[in-house]
Amino acid sequence: MKKKYERPVILKVQTGMMNKFGSSPYYTRKVRKDIDGVSINELTEKFGSPLFVFSETELRQRYRNLYNAFSTRYPNVTFGWSYKTNYLPAICSVLHQEGAIAEVVSEMEYDKARTLGIPGEDIIYNGPHKSLSALEKAVEAGSMVNIDHFDELFDMEKVSDKLGKQIKVGMRLNMDTGIHPQWSRFGLNLESGQALDVVKRMASTGKLILNGLHCHIGTYILEPNAYAIEIEKMIKFTYEVEEKFGYKIEYLDIGGGFPSKSKLKGTYQSPELLIPSIDEYAEKITTALYHNLKPGDFPKLYLETGRGIIDEAGYLITSIVSSKRLPDSRKAYIADGGINLLYTAFWYKYNIEIDRDVQGTNEPSIVYGPMCMNIDVIEEGTLLPPLEKGTKLILSPVGAYNVTQWMQFIEYRPNVVLISEDRQIDLIREAEDLSDISKREILPERLKLK
Amino acid sequence: MLKHIKGILNSYSEIFFIQSQWVGILLFLITVINPYVALGGIISVISAYLFAKLINIKAEFLKAGFYTYNPLLTGLAVGYLFKLTPLTFLFMVLTGILTFLATLVLSNIFSYYFRLPILSIPFVIVSSLAYLAASQYSNLFITGLYPNTLLNIDLSLPYWIEGYFKSLGAIFFMPNVISGIIIALIILIASRIVFMLSVAGYYAGTLLVALMVGSYTQSFSDINHFNFILIAISVGGIFLIPSLKSYLIAIVSVCISTILLDAVLVFWSTYGIPAFTLPFNVISLSIVYTLGINRYPYLTYYFRDTPEETLDLYLSNIQRYKGSYITLSLPFTGKWTVYQGFNGKWTHQGNWKYAYDFVITDDSGSSYKNTGDLLEDYYCFRKPVLSPVRGRIVKVINTLQDMPIGQVDKTNNWGNLVVIKDDRGFFVEISHLAENSIKLNEGDWVEKGSFIGLCGNSGYSPQPHIHIQVQELETVAAYTIPFSFTSYIENNIYHANNLPYEGAVVEPHLADNYYENITSFILDNEYNFEVYKKNKLIANLDLIIKMAIDGTFYFDSGKGKLYFGKHENTFYFYSVEGNDDYLNIIFQSMPRFPVSHKDNLTWNDNVPFGIVAKGFRKNLVQLISSFNHNITKVVVNSKFESKRKITSIISSKLLNINLQSSVEFDDKDGFKNIKIGDTELRRIYDEKN
Repeated sequence: MKKKYERPVILKVQTGMMNKFGSSPYYTRKVRKDIDGVSINELTEKFGSPLFVFSETELRQRYRNLYNAFSTRYPNVTFGWSYKTNYLPAICSVLHQEGAIAEVVSEMEYDKARTLGIPGEDIIYNGPHKSLSALEKAVEAGSMVNIDHFDELFDMEKVSDKLGKQIKVGMRLNMDTGIHPQWSRFGLNLESGQALDVVKRMASTGKLILNGLHCHIGTYILEPNAYAIEIEKMIKFTYEVEEKFGYKIEYLDIGGGFPSKSKLKGTYQSPELLIPSIDEYAEKITTALYHNLKPGDFPKLYLETGRGIIDEAGYLITSIVSSKRLPDSRKAYIADGGINLLYTAFWYKYNIEIDRDVQGTNEPSIVYGPMCMNIDVIEEGTLLPPLEKGTKLILSPVGAYNVTQWMQFIEYRPNVVLISEDRQIDLIREAEDLSDISKREILPERLKLK
Repeated sequence: MLKHIKGILNSYSEIFFIQSQWVGILLFLITVINPYVALGGIISVISAYLFAKLINIKAEFLKAGFYTYNPLLTGLAVGYLFKLTPLTFLFMVLTGILTFLATLVLSNIFSYYFRLPILSIPFVIVSSLAYLAASQYSNLFITGLYPNTLLNIDLSLPYWIEGYFKSLGAIFFMPNVISGIIIALIILIASRIVFMLSVAGYYAGTLLVALMVGSYTQSFSDINHFNFILIAISVGGIFLIPSLKSYLIAIVSVCISTILLDAVLVFWSTYGIPAFTLPFNVISLSIVYTLGINRYPYLTYYFRDTPEETLDLYLSNIQRYKGSYITLSLPFTGKWTVYQGFNGKWTHQGNWKYAYDFVITDDSGSSYKNTGDLLEDYYCFRKPVLSPVRGRIVKVINTLQDMPIGQVDKTNNWGNLVVIKDDRGFFVEISHLAENSIKLNEGDWVEKGSFIGLCGNSGYSPQPHIHIQVQELETVAAYTIPFSFTSYIENNIYHANNLPYEGAVVEPHLADNYYENITSFILDNEYNFEVYKKNKLIANLDLIIKMAIDGTFYFDSGKGKLYFGKHENTFYFYSVEGNDDYLNIIFQSMPRFPVSHKDNLTWNDNVPFGIVAKGFRKNLVQLISSFNHNITKVVVNSKFESKRKITSIISSKLLNINLQSSVEFDDKDGFKNIKIGDTELRRIYDEKN
């Protein structure tokens, strides 16, 4: 029998003791031939490459795990689906079906939620930029608006004047929870008394009624205790406001920021080791609630988990379009999807799986995207076996932020599909073509080429 | 004044255990046929009233007609014997007052010692006394006595039919056929069950006596047999819930009463007095007392105007209210699975059979992930346990180790635990908590939902779980008693008060502020509606919140009362009194709802038959349903359509009813719109609001 061809590889000579981690990384492979039972080949044959694939099973399962971790510990929990992490209508609908309400941070997202059929009162409206007209729209629909700064407070007073009624509002706080960086650019600072000043103003004008507190201490928070500190401070502030001003705080929105199992660049340990389990977060958070709340007082607890739910339900399938050898002897691959689709590539190291069994040992490799730009690097250094053109790389987790922050730069954005629980493949966003790009472009008559 | 007249009229109809003014009026008119009887009754009642005023008895008591029923009967009895003269007038006044006194005294004694009503015992005693005394009053006798031959028209009916009518008339001291026919018609229209029992009772007793005596004519001509009628009605239709069994007990009661009646007649007639209703009182009360001390389950506790309505309310109540009076909320939050219920096959046996075990399971039904060898693999391990009641902590054990999977602590079976004393008179024990997780001390007060500790695996526990039981004593592992859980969701169905089955996945449902506030319904608040039929204004409905003597609140429409209340996170309409179709509409469109919204949440309830049915069909079905309790069922399936809207389907197979209703709630208080079929109640608001 003819021996199968094996591409040549260049390996650094390893000498000395056997390593204590067992099998050599030079032979380990991560191969993924399917997603939820649907083969990668079938997916790319039908929908092309690159291709974003979301797993409905994973999405629902992750939502339920997270939700149950809290609902079995605290009686009054609701999740607000953080639209900015992924606002494809199909994804939002799955989560709304599971019981999440909407958490939006811009007028565009607000309109998107309403178009999906979410009632105004089931929308939490956050963010540092809300126009006066957007505020008015949200107030009229009964949405929960969390005030971010003084100017927004004044705008809300104007809305109150215009509608001729008192308005219930929440406010966003920022505080020191012992972690770095402290997200002090959003909301009103607690320790400096800024937050209390806002409440005093509300009490003196009587136009607004404070009924909720919001805080989001950051993203990818690895320290569960930070949430316990956040909650202790929020509840202390709650009771201070209730006693001094007679407001009733109906909800505490403690934001999100739970990490997904994606590897932050520069971390040494694997995410499995590094990231605390969701139960640890839930136990810290609910214990802090029980310890600080008065008996029988159960304000509504909102969580705005985005990444923790969606990130691991998303995959990007890319194909190798070429390989080359760099002068420093490293192997380089060019894939058909890069940072144009993976905005988060700047700070996350993805899990890279290949779609087939490949012969040969691994060698240090670098994976570039298709952009004609130097910064388009998906993976700066990993160990890959010699790959043929056409081999598919499956990158994960990529469910959060990428399909909202992706850019239309020199390429079209690809198809996005959702694999349902019974393995049906639904196209949930069509690949773009030139008409999508030229639709909004206007060529003045005088400039038209004859 | 009007109220007093109503009270007096009620006392006429109450002789047949029916509460109805028109029946009262008709029966009163019958007595007018013999004016002396009618006047005797009125004089007696009025003198009782005036005496009551003299000794400052509150008007509230008199309204009910309860205290006037006996003076009325005595008055009728005296009027039957004597025509009206100044002397007999005086005599009637005196007997009226005496009966009133006897009523007060006896009703106190009977309700205190026997928990029994007094029926017409005061009447029997005072009338007997009056007849005995009168035999001494020669002057009264000579001036007052008159021959009583009114209406003795011969209709040539067979003697065995005449006997029934005469006996019926004799109840109102009108022992003639005509009166009897009229009375029979009145009770037939008022209540088929009462009429049926009167016939059955009369013939059962009379035939038995005829057999004993050997003469049918003699037996059928004895007007004292009206006692059989009264016994049959009171036992078969009033004190017991009408059913085949109650009818049987009624007939047996009638048959045994024949002995008493005939014995009494011998004794009493020696002194020239009739037996009056003595056999009826003795037999009926003996039966009710006996059934009462044996806790017979079908005794009537809620009396309505007629046996039909009593039965209807009883049937809808047993369908509507499950669970028990010892109500707990689930001792956790989120979705948990019942691992073992009452009489569970593993450990809930004998003295400890009334207990529940809960675990958390995943979609595949497993209570653990991975291999299940570690405590941490179990979903419920270290999840918070919350207080199911408000009360005081009387016992805490907190230091026992959580046993590894596969090992149990046989010395300290119950593990770490708390015992909470509920002021309603019972103790709740929650066991197998995690080591050192209880942050409470003995003597601490807990509210419902307070954090108690974490679910653990201490004690005799094969896997982490919450064990909860209710005991009469505070000692650990005391004898357990039944209880039930309130306000929980199982499979998207809301249960107000019930016991979940083993394997059920249940989740507590907490009240929310919005529904809590709009269902406050504060006393004297007014709610005004316009009633539209096919979009045409047909009437106005003005409701006002009132409170009954027993503390139950109701909507008063002027024509009727709609009783309501909130219990453990559920709002209920209890019943409708009076005749107001619009109140019926409100009742059937939302007989209950959780005081908290959840999208698409559904729940089931039943309403009394008489709320949806009308006319002849209602009468017929109510009569049949007394023979078979399972045939009448009006089911209301409700659902939260949106945050402020409930839709229901009201259906009954038997009646072929399938109605759709919707209720929209106001932003602040009460209902905004109630729609059922083509009828719609639209709230109208005061200018001020």
